[in-house]
Amino acid sequence: MSIEVRNLRKAFGNFVALDDVDLDVPGGELVALLGPSGSGKTTLLRIIAGLEPADQGMIRFEGEDATDQPVRERQVGFVFQHYALFRHMSVFENIAFGLRVRPRAMRPSEEEIRGTVMNLLRLVQLEALGKRRPSELSGGQRQRVALARALAVKPKVLLLDEPFGALDAKVRKELRRWLRRLHEEVHVTSVFVTHDQEEALEVSDRVVIMNEGRVEQSGTPEEVYEHPATPFVYGFLGDVNLFHGRIDRGRVKVGASELEAPEWAEARDQAGVAYVRTYDVKLTPSANGRSSIEATVRHVRTFGPVVRLELDRADDGGSIEAHIPRALFDRLGVGKGERVFVSPTSVRVFARPSDPGAARSA
Amino acid sequence: MATVAIGRPATASPRALTRSTGESRAVRYTLIGIALVFLALVLLLPLALVFVQAFAKGLPAYWQAIREPDALSAAKLTLLIAAIAVPANLVFGVAAAWCVSKFEFRGRNLLITLIDLPFAVSPVISGMIFVLLFGAHGWFGDWLFEHDIKIIFALPGMVLATTFVTAPFIARELIPLMQEQGSEEEEAAIVLGASGWQTFLRVTLPNIKWGLLYGLILCNARAMGEFGAVSVVSGHIRGETNTLPLHVEILYNEYAFAASFAVASVLTLLALVTLALKTLVEWQQRRSAAGVADTDSPSERIAP
Repeated sequence: MSIEVRNLRKAFGNFVALDDVDLDVPGGELVALLGPSGSGKTTLLRIIAGLEPADQGMIRFEGEDATDQPVRERQVGFVFQHYALFRHMSVFENIAFGLRVRPRAMRPSEEEIRGTVMNLLRLVQLEALGKRRPSELSGGQRQRVALARALAVKPKVLLLDEPFGALDAKVRKELRRWLRRLHEEVHVTSVFVTHDQEEALEVSDRVVIMNEGRVEQSGTPEEVYEHPATPFVYGFLGDVNLFHGRIDRGRVKVGASELEAPEWAEARDQAGVAYVRTYDVKLTPSANGRSSIEATVRHVRTFGPVVRLELDRADDGGSIEAHIPRALFDRLGVGKGERVFVSPTSVRVFARPSDPGAARSA
Repeated sequence: MATVAIGRPATASPRALTRSTGESRAVRYTLIGIALVFLALVLLLPLALVFVQAFAKGLPAYWQAIREPDALSAAKLTLLIAAIAVPANLVFGVAAAWCVSKFEFRGRNLLITLIDLPFAVSPVISGMIFVLLFGAHGWFGDWLFEHDIKIIFALPGMVLATTFVTAPFIARELIPLMQEQGSEEEEAAIVLGASGWQTFLRVTLPNIKWGLLYGLILCNARAMGEFGAVSVVSGHIRGETNTLPLHVEILYNEYAFAASFAVASVLTLLALVTLALKTLVEWQQRRSAAGVADTDSPSERIAP
């Protein structure tokens, strides 16, 4: 079932949590709401669920207005960040809850409830743990119970609030893949909130990047990663170097160097920032045209297939981070304190961003 | 082995702890001695004295004092007042705790403070408030007289005074408990399609049941034992508006010491039962809390 959000606004006192937000979730897709904390993503999710009223705007489920529909009639499944399992009930009863509270006429028989719950326990791979209390489970197991409980009522939409936020790194990775597989199996329209860009890019069909109550960009993981629409998205997805300078006739003057920016051919002496991903650089022992930036090596980390270098610019002392394949690094043959020239191979230039601090490398 | 010691400080021997951090033997024994003497003088001796005095004239006299019609009517009235005041405060306490802990609204802190008012004010004042409101010369006195409604020197006044004095017990017990538990479980229940009532019965109530029981026991004990506020509004009409505590005082003032203490011993027994119940509930409460806390986050990793 598709979700449409139009012109949504929500403020808590003076704090504007959501500012004119539009969102489209096509039926059956798995969409990630990605953003730093305070960007409004959880508020948006809670408003879609009906747990929070919107100040303005509209929510449609499959084209039908659901803005004023009470939570319990929306038929959404919600998975809370801290699971919110019923602590005094067994795992089985937790999952059965949504079926047991139905009005008598719609309530399945005890046998049907048992069948549904056992199926779900199998789906989340916890068949043997139905009798346990939530307190007797690990974090990852609790999260899966929370998911099974949400799925038990056959929701039209599944909403997950930072579903892996409280788990340690290894379990998080496993559960992430498992969620992806689960989604392919049950295929319910799902929206999950995360502040972890890797998680969002790896799991979802579509990523919606939020910042300060607005949607910055939405698209497939490839689209948003390869073609960031705003400085914020550029900075938030992946590690990036910033070069402040002046844009003039298709070039950006950065310190003693000049970078190519053909899309700014019309610009005349304008403040701008060039964004360069840490792996979009070439390092050479000698100057390589006007676009190369002179720097000295401050620090080298050589574990893994990629060598990470921290460099100090010769012109203004600013810092540059460069990630290059180990083979190239070996061929280059530079060490700490030595001089190199940095040539950006891919540059994206934005005119003076409103808040340069927000776009620093993530 | 070092990791074991760090991970499980509880296994360290308690003796080692006291030797490095404790006081000398003489200081410890003196402090314990003072505490014990104080306990014996202030708590145990009066308690024992109540029973000694009660049986001073023998078992038959004791029995008679308790079965005397005035005593029986006082006992009935005490039970009746508690039977009205405690459920009233149960509803008020749960409702107050619910709205204070699950919602944010203006005046919330004021409400929390107001709940404590009956504890802060002297019971005599609590009684006077109702006399000033409903007494013959009170605000509503004339109107009540015209309509022939008796509140002061009658059951309604005594119930009101008792309810007022015991109002904080249940709310006070529940507010911190419900605040700590938050409202996520309730939200989860509502999303799953539960109605407000179902959510309360199936999710909220089981989570607060031990705290609620604890508050109920204390509230009941105070409702039956309240003297000051009830004394002001009762009028002390024998066989009509006398509760057990008031009856004890009347007997004592008439130099019927044995009878007075006999009735007092009933109240004392009630207190002892309350204490036993309270301890049991506290133990249960700690057990259910520990069940949630101790396995809070068992490690996901496989042990090496």
